[in-house]
Amino acid sequence: MKMRATFFKKLVVAVLLLTLPCAAQAAHGASPLKVVEELKVDAPIEKVWGVIDDFAHPITILSIERIEASGNNTPDQAERRLFLKDGVMIKEVLTKRDEERFMIGVHRKTDNLQLLPAVNYTSLITLRSLDQDHTIIEWKARFYRGYPNNNPPAELNDDVAVAAVKKLIAGELAALKKHIEKPIGQ
Amino acid sequence: MIRQALCGVIVLFCLLFSNTILADEAFITAQNGQSLDIIDLTSMTTRVSVPIAGKPAGVALTKDGRRVFVTSPEGRFITIVDSKAGRIEKQIPMNGGPLGVVVSGTGERLYVTDFYDDRLVEIDLNTQKQRSLPIGSKPAGLALTPDGKTLLVAARDDNQIIFVDLQQFSRLDQLIVGRHPYGVTIDADGRRAYVANVESNTVSVIDLSSRKMIAELPVESHPYGIALASGRIFISNQHSESLSVFDAKALTPVATVKVGDYPEGVCASLDGANVYVANWFSNELWAIDAVTLKVRAKTATSDGPRAFGLFVAPGL
Repeated sequence: MKMRATFFKKLVVAVLLLTLPCAAQAAHGASPLKVVEELKVDAPIEKVWGVIDDFAHPITILSIERIEASGNNTPDQAERRLFLKDGVMIKEVLTKRDEERFMIGVHRKTDNLQLLPAVNYTSLITLRSLDQDHTIIEWKARFYRGYPNNNPPAELNDDVAVAAVKKLIAGELAALKKHIEKPIGQ
Repeated sequence: MIRQALCGVIVLFCLLFSNTILADEAFITAQNGQSLDIIDLTSMTTRVSVPIAGKPAGVALTKDGRRVFVTSPEGRFITIVDSKAGRIEKQIPMNGGPLGVVVSGTGERLYVTDFYDDRLVEIDLNTQKQRSLPIGSKPAGLALTPDGKTLLVAARDDNQIIFVDLQQFSRLDQLIVGRHPYGVTIDADGRRAYVANVESNTVSVIDLSSRKMIAELPVESHPYGIALASGRIFISNQHSESLSVFDAKALTPVATVKVGDYPEGVCASLDGANVYVANWFSNELWAIDAVTLKVRAKTATSDGPRAFGLFVAPGL
């Protein structure tokens, strides 16, 4: 009985995965979710900005095999395709770049519920200088639960989406910190 | 002496009088913080924050500003708030996902888009009776003509505006606009409607007598809501952190104003001198002078201000 329920759940998710491209366009649905995380990095803001601002070469926890990027750093033109080791491709566009505010916006064009049980994932990353040697990276994300309609299955509800995005951003921030604080020559 | 004192009293009276009369209030739905912030727009401070469950999104107000109607798409109800008391008067259950909301001029009927089940719902506020109309895929924003006869509904995934005859409660017409229409606004004399097309980064201008599109204005990235003030059109652009400003008569661009992060709901003050915009990511309400386009003031809101609808009313 339990096995059957699990199978049914898997079937629901599989069907959703197949039909999702339609729903994936919903950048402005009924109930967007928000996650805000920040991390202190021991580096001056200019150094951190130099890393964040390189849209074609993201520092990430994703296991990337290769990247195709175009459009330089121009918002709404810059695009990057991240090809992961398991054959998955993630397409992201730069939605925002503000040098004065040390801020970039990135919107994921390809939803993949196995990778992240959330859709329409958009990030806004802003740097804040604490002092000459310390910078806060603030990472704000906007997204919808994996099943953006009503009556979502339990594995694609708001709580699951928020937890997954929190985990993702915490990982991304830690990867950035590690990369930026790495001593020269290592 | 007596004359001077009298003048003084009159001046003082006028000041007090103008303060009480002119203090518009904003009713900001904070979707993630799950509340309705009632903000005094003269002092730009929150008078009261009313907790509302179910991820509140849409907002509408009676003309006198006494009653506020808030949709909760995840709670499946409409909340009626007594604005003076700052507390919930009642909640009306509604199936599906109530999102956009407008109230009739008499304050007797509500029109609500059901985003999840693709309906337009009419709620009689006296009897609580509901009836609905299939309205197209993912209905979002809606607006009422000033004569109260026609409703325009944005069917997002059909890329259409649906015209609804409210006397018959039936579909009158439909018009293809840009990709993913969301916010809809109608001008005060009922001549034109403006529609924000989120995916095509344009605003469709519709002539209401012919029900035809007369212009498509290019705006910045992901336009969401539209306000009309001081002869200008103000469009909030979610991804560009900006308001696009156009001359409403000539339909020519005036300027682009930088605002907070991820602007959504935008609404004019009652006298049209100011425009207010809710910034979803930065949790702020900004006041912009509609003529000089300078940022007049900012105030913090609860988490995730959405303010989807006409959210400004006279203070009480």
